Amino acid sequence: MKNDFPYISLKNVDKADLTKIENYLHFGGFSAIKQSLGLSADEIIDRIKKAGLRGRGGAGFPTGLKQSFTKTSCEVCLQKYVVCNADEGEPGTFKDRYIMEKNPFAIIEGMIIAAYAIGANKGYIYIRGEYEQAIRTMQAAIDDCYRYDWLGKNIAQSNFSFDIDIYIGAGSYLCGEELTLIESLEGKRGYPRIKPPFPAEKGLWQQPTLINNVETFSHIPFIINEGYEAYACIGTAESKGTKLFCVSGNLKQTGVFELPMGITLRELIYDVCGGMLEGFEFKAALLGGAAGTFVDASFLDVPLAYETLKQKGATLGSGAVMIIDQATNLKDLLINILEFFKHESCGKCVPCRIGTTLIYERCKKAQLLPDDINWLIQQTEYMSRNSLCPLGQSPILPVKSFFTYFNV
Amino acid sequence: MQNKQTEEQVLEILKQFKPEKSEILKALHALQNAHPLHYITEEAITQTARYFKLTTGQVYGVVTYYSMFSVKPRSPFIIRLCKSPVCYMKGSLNLWNYLSQKLLLNENNISSDDLFTLEPSECLGHCEQAPAMMINEQVFTNLSPKKIDQIIDDFKRKYHEK
Amino acid sequence: MNKNVNIIIDGKTITAKEHDNLLNVARQNGFDIPGLCYHPRLSPTGACRLCVVKIEGTNGLVMACTVQVKDGMKITAFDEELENNRRHTLSYLLAEHNEEYDETYHDEFRPLIERYNLKEVAQRPIKSIWQNIPRVVDDTSPVLTYDSSKCIRCFRCIKACEEIQGKGVLSFADRGIQKYIVAGTGKWGSSECDGCGECIQLCPTGAIVEKPHRNIINIYKIDKKVVTSCPYCGVGCQIEVWTQNNQIVRVNGVEDVSPNYGRLCVKGRFGYQYANDRERLTQPLIRKNGKLEPATWDEALTLVANKFNEIRQKYGKKALAGYSSAKCSNEDNYIFQKFIRLAFGNNNVDYCTRLCHASTVAAMIRSLGDGAGSNSIEDFETTDCLIVIGNNIIETHPVTATFIKRGKQKGQKIIVIDPKWTPLVKYADLFLQPRLATDVALLNGMMHVIIKHHLINEKFIEERVEGGMQAYEQLKELVMKYTPDLVEQITGVPEKLFTEAAIMYATAPTAMIATGMGMSQQTVGTNNVFALLNMCLITGKIGRERCGINPPRGQNNVQGATDVGASPVMYPGYIPVTNEENRKKVAKIWNVPFEELDPNPGLTTLEIMDAAHEGIIKGMYIMGENPVITDPNQLHTIEALQNLEFLVVQDIFHTETTAYADVVLPATSLFEKDGTVVNSDRRVLRLRKVLEPTGEALPDWKIIVEIAARMNINIGNYLNEEEIWNEIRQVAPILSGITYERIEKQGIQWPCYDEYHPGTSTLYKDKFNTSSGKAKIYPVEYQEQSEKTSAEYPLVMNSGRILYQYHSATLSRKSDVLNAYASESYILIHPDDAVKYKIQDRKKVKVCSPRGELITTAIISDEVLPGEVFMPWHFHESPVNALTRNEKDPISKIAPFKYSVVKLEAI
Ligand SMILES: Cc1cc2nc3c(=O)[nH]c(=O)nc-3n(C[C@H](O)[C@H](O)[C@H](O)COP(=O)(O)O)c2cc1C
Ligand code: SF4
Ligand code: SF4
Ligand code: FES
Ligand code: FES
Repeated sequence: MKNDFPYISLKNVDKADLTKIENYLHFGGFSAIKQSLGLSADEIIDRIKKAGLRGRGGAGFPTGLKQSFTKTSCEVCLQKYVVCNADEGEPGTFKDRYIMEKNPFAIIEGMIIAAYAIGANKGYIYIRGEYEQAIRTMQAAIDDCYRYDWLGKNIAQSNFSFDIDIYIGAGSYLCGEELTLIESLEGKRGYPRIKPPFPAEKGLWQQPTLINNVETFSHIPFIINEGYEAYACIGTAESKGTKLFCVSGNLKQTGVFELPMGITLRELIYDVCGGMLEGFEFKAALLGGAAGTFVDASFLDVPLAYETLKQKGATLGSGAVMIIDQATNLKDLLINILEFFKHESCGKCVPCRIGTTLIYERCKKAQLLPDDINWLIQQTEYMSRNSLCPLGQSPILPVKSFFTYFNV
Repeated sequence: MQNKQTEEQVLEILKQFKPEKSEILKALHALQNAHPLHYITEEAITQTARYFKLTTGQVYGVVTYYSMFSVKPRSPFIIRLCKSPVCYMKGSLNLWNYLSQKLLLNENNISSDDLFTLEPSECLGHCEQAPAMMINEQVFTNLSPKKIDQIIDDFKRKYHEK
Repeated sequence: MNKNVNIIIDGKTITAKEHDNLLNVARQNGFDIPGLCYHPRLSPTGACRLCVVKIEGTNGLVMACTVQVKDGMKITAFDEELENNRRHTLSYLLAEHNEEYDETYHDEFRPLIERYNLKEVAQRPIKSIWQNIPRVVDDTSPVLTYDSSKCIRCFRCIKACEEIQGKGVLSFADRGIQKYIVAGTGKWGSSECDGCGECIQLCPTGAIVEKPHRNIINIYKIDKKVVTSCPYCGVGCQIEVWTQNNQIVRVNGVEDVSPNYGRLCVKGRFGYQYANDRERLTQPLIRKNGKLEPATWDEALTLVANKFNEIRQKYGKKALAGYSSAKCSNEDNYIFQKFIRLAFGNNNVDYCTRLCHASTVAAMIRSLGDGAGSNSIEDFETTDCLIVIGNNIIETHPVTATFIKRGKQKGQKIIVIDPKWTPLVKYADLFLQPRLATDVALLNGMMHVIIKHHLINEKFIEERVEGGMQAYEQLKELVMKYTPDLVEQITGVPEKLFTEAAIMYATAPTAMIATGMGMSQQTVGTNNVFALLNMCLITGKIGRERCGINPPRGQNNVQGATDVGASPVMYPGYIPVTNEENRKKVAKIWNVPFEELDPNPGLTTLEIMDAAHEGIIKGMYIMGENPVITDPNQLHTIEALQNLEFLVVQDIFHTETTAYADVVLPATSLFEKDGTVVNSDRRVLRLRKVLEPTGEALPDWKIIVEIAARMNINIGNYLNEEEIWNEIRQVAPILSGITYERIEKQGIQWPCYDEYHPGTSTLYKDKFNTSSGKAKIYPVEYQEQSEKTSAEYPLVMNSGRILYQYHSATLSRKSDVLNAYASESYILIHPDDAVKYKIQDRKKVKVCSPRGELITTAIISDEVLPGEVFMPWHFHESPVNALTRNEKDPISKIAPFKYSVVKLEAI
């Protein structure tokens, strides 16, 4: 394991209480804004691109590219928006909460720089309703920023003005999906919109909208401050920088760990987390949450990075790493996950609304025969091709990987 | 304690929000939290619709979409017990049964003393300390039956002290 | 217009408009791609996933309904994979679906089940699960029932209500597989739903079904499906009427055709019950010994002819008069006015237009040259700014209002000016609530603002207004006296509000005005409209597309009746009777000596009644009108009718007026007629016979022709309505180009001078229809009302209509559905006044005016201003016109239905 990497999302959180703006400032907070305000928008976006930052919300889309789409999507717009996706609903994921509770100003700083780069004056942080503590911390941080003129009119005496409001979710996983999140932000039921148009063209109130994950925004100050080279040298060929891994299960240590991309599962379990708890053995892992993939011991030495996992048909997703031990009934776990999809399907489109129920019900059968398994895989394949949004397209990931590695 | 929300109280709460659509969910949270039985009444829906220039159907649709909201009367304390994969692996099902028996739930999952409503929840984002639950806005982790006894008793005690 | 592009579907090259909907284009070209959630009138949803196709260069499957056509697109619409997918999707839907089918609705789902070989349970890959999904049934609405077990969750009903009707009453509740449709908080009956039934028409699977006649309708046993025009208001909605055994069992809006493009309101869809009502008149009646007794047609017609001749001989031709009807067809009205002019030898023909928009028409004709709305219904959606003044448009013209609400969704600015709150206020940017009858002051005040802010359109005034800037200066001199303080004092509208409204109107790129009975039915009705016109003219907001002034008309054929000459001053096509040339021309076509045509203007509606009261008029022929209810000052009207020697009433029902008739002649209803009507935006539309006549009833024009024959009057021989229409075309140049053939599918707007003329959607684009070709400004002063409140009568009563009833309610109250929504009279009173006069909510009250009194129920509401009360006038048991007065607007002779002093007493 490489030990010589800088913390980014969690920079200095071990040194002081960074929810206090004085402390954040003490450690050089907001210097990236000052620098950015001296740069052109294109220069900023160029640095993000060169750093190789990819979205930490699960899909891994290049952040710089998204910024430039949003910047150039229209010449004259009424308004552009920056939205921070803090809906964190993927089971097994809790990194965004951690950043919000420990390093709120880094997120805000990242949002301000992104807003400046794309020409937005209004931002929202969409936090899931269950995250009471995070909501309070973020709200206090925003209030502090206004007090210190890091938000509002003429930030740091520049011509640039930017406001942020918090929006509170109310219990819907699907609302983490970007276009659904926007619908929800408009006060509606969480139904995904038809893509295209993408948010970069028509997002909130039909205006260009940049939407990124909490962790993604928290990386921006570092890239501006330390240079894109410093960032790009961390990680693997196609997965740059650090990543927060959310490790759960019967391990000696669990929690959020910031590590370079490309660390292996073995290193994570045995070096970082000190191995399994007494009496438990590693049997499998679920990577990326419910919309993620099951892997078995053969994955222990695969680097955890977008491209390496993809090669093997697995996904990194949000960074959830659920370690499953021999005591767990694997099939029950699969049922649990399918129930999750059924519960969270919005019901807009036929394949997902009905499919999620069908596969859940079938999986509950006492004994799954090869026919049942084929049938299940067929349905999820059909759903993945025909569903409207990624939720209905996802069950294939856990289902197919499950039956690839395990028989029940 | 009064188990009602008057029209004036509803209006008072709504007035704290800008009449913009992006404030609706916040307003609904506020209305629900302010109601002693933690639910959104028909009156609240009607007033919210009027306030945000929507129809009652549209507001009802929003309320019933989000799982944190309820249109049915609940109780002063809402227990959201996580039953997502990690908590599930760590025995949340047993805890569910334990709580059901302990609280003598009725068919609406409300405790016999009308203080608690037990609801299943998707991942609460505290999997590193699973199993987890929330009671109103507070989070409790690393749960065991013993710990649950303590927590519930605490809530009861504080409620009766008030 | 978008440019043409070429696309290829399954190897076939197709030309389409860029950005058109791919599914629509494919279907129009014969590719029958399945799909249940798409509807051409709605935005695409992409929910059912049946319309999957492949597009070259795009990964995976795409939903055709969500794709816009682009040049060079290569599409696969059918291959094995796509068809397998569709079949699989269908089998999913089927699993969720309750298949019981009772043949009471059109089902789009069933044919697909057969097409994809899923009819037999054994053929289905997926087992039924619908039995395990909570079933929600909502049966609380008077017009429909919702059953979630039949719902395919396609969003069509939600979008129909929101996007088409602008109401947004519906939503899904819950989510995932359990979700279902709700109105309000789960009970349709107590939601904001007003029963238009748009959702029923668009639901593809019978999850929402129509209630009325559900017990008898069988869609496979429909005898006839006939397209005709709605018999209610002046929008002229095109309806498709279905019958079984000569009974109407269902009405739908006709898709794709103006003016309504499939939309209807509750009256149009559900108000047809009267046509088959048992109380319809079935045979002629003659009063014998004080009682109306059945008679043969011959008996009755001969009696009528003899009596009319007798009166004419005894008292001279001034002793006869007729009321024509805004409910009858153009052909009926044309024959009626021809009859009056030839058989009575005078011009004493008028009808209820005098009671609604006579003042509007008078002002518009003087100022602009035509007495009709200047724009098309579609413009209500596309204009940038709309003033709706004295017009409860959502209730009185619900389908026109849908265009406004859609305009609002696209950012239109709406200004409502009304002494009473109306539902449109919910959509309005500004709401001005002036005191009753202070409109001229308010409008002068707004012009004052416009002038002060230099927002007049000098170029327009110079080029298109008679007298140019000089005329303007005169107006300016007058309106500058209306200082904001003064206006605020007279009207009670805050300066800030009318300033904002004036600026909003004047600065909008295009702007329209919809004026209504609130403006016209006053003793200053004509002046009110002059003031509006002045404002149009100085800002140049007329004479262009999406600019102008429009009085949506109340009855289905108010516009047409005047167009074809039911007027004491004008022949068909607005040709003055006083002009000799005109008379010569008309006499020639009618084949009569021109001396026989009376050169003097006839009496107007209320003048006729006055003359009857004074004993000058001795005989009257009333066709399809109910003056006892609709004319002001009821007592006066009854006395006048009793004073007549001979009264003939021709109608489809007994009315309050037939009670005074000597002969009652049974006519066919609109559903039993062929012919044409003209709607509010000057569109000539077809009426088509749906039902066989009731009993011995005859079409109105045939009855008239028979009477004329027995009077030895040469009124012409006509085989059918089309022959009459063709004569109308000769007499009225504005209608010349409109033939039955041309309006077979879609109406045409007059003026339309020849058969190649496309019709006119916007009036006055090149010139105004005055002799100079320019519009005229008529500066008008605010006048105080002669009727004043006093200690005895401290309140001012306003009157008007509501959505669910219609005029004197002869037709609408025959409908169980409409009665279920509203069947009782009431009076609205402000909470402050309620306290002051000790009136309790929903308790009976006596309402008295200097003319009379009535009893109704008080409703306390802040929809009215303090000092004012409001009453709907549909209910004969509480006849509002017992309270109104017959003082007249000096120019148009309209009566002030909107202003009567009253007192309220609790009883
Ligand atoms: C069902 C579903 C749920 C999602 N939930 C989240 C979430 O909670 N947080 C998040 O950041 N992204 C979530 N996403 C991904 C977002 O759609 C989007 O890709 C992300 O916000 C983009 O940010 P990034 O580019 O910074 O990753 C979800 C996607 C899907 C399909
Ligand atoms: S895939 Fe599922 S969650 Fe997505 S639109 Fe369809 S029903 Fe809704
Ligand atoms: S009720 Fe009909 S129109 Fe509405 S969603 Fe269901 S199937 Fe579609
Ligand atoms: S699984 Fe229970 S908190 Fe995440
Ligand atoms: S018709 Fe295209 S998805 Fe339903």
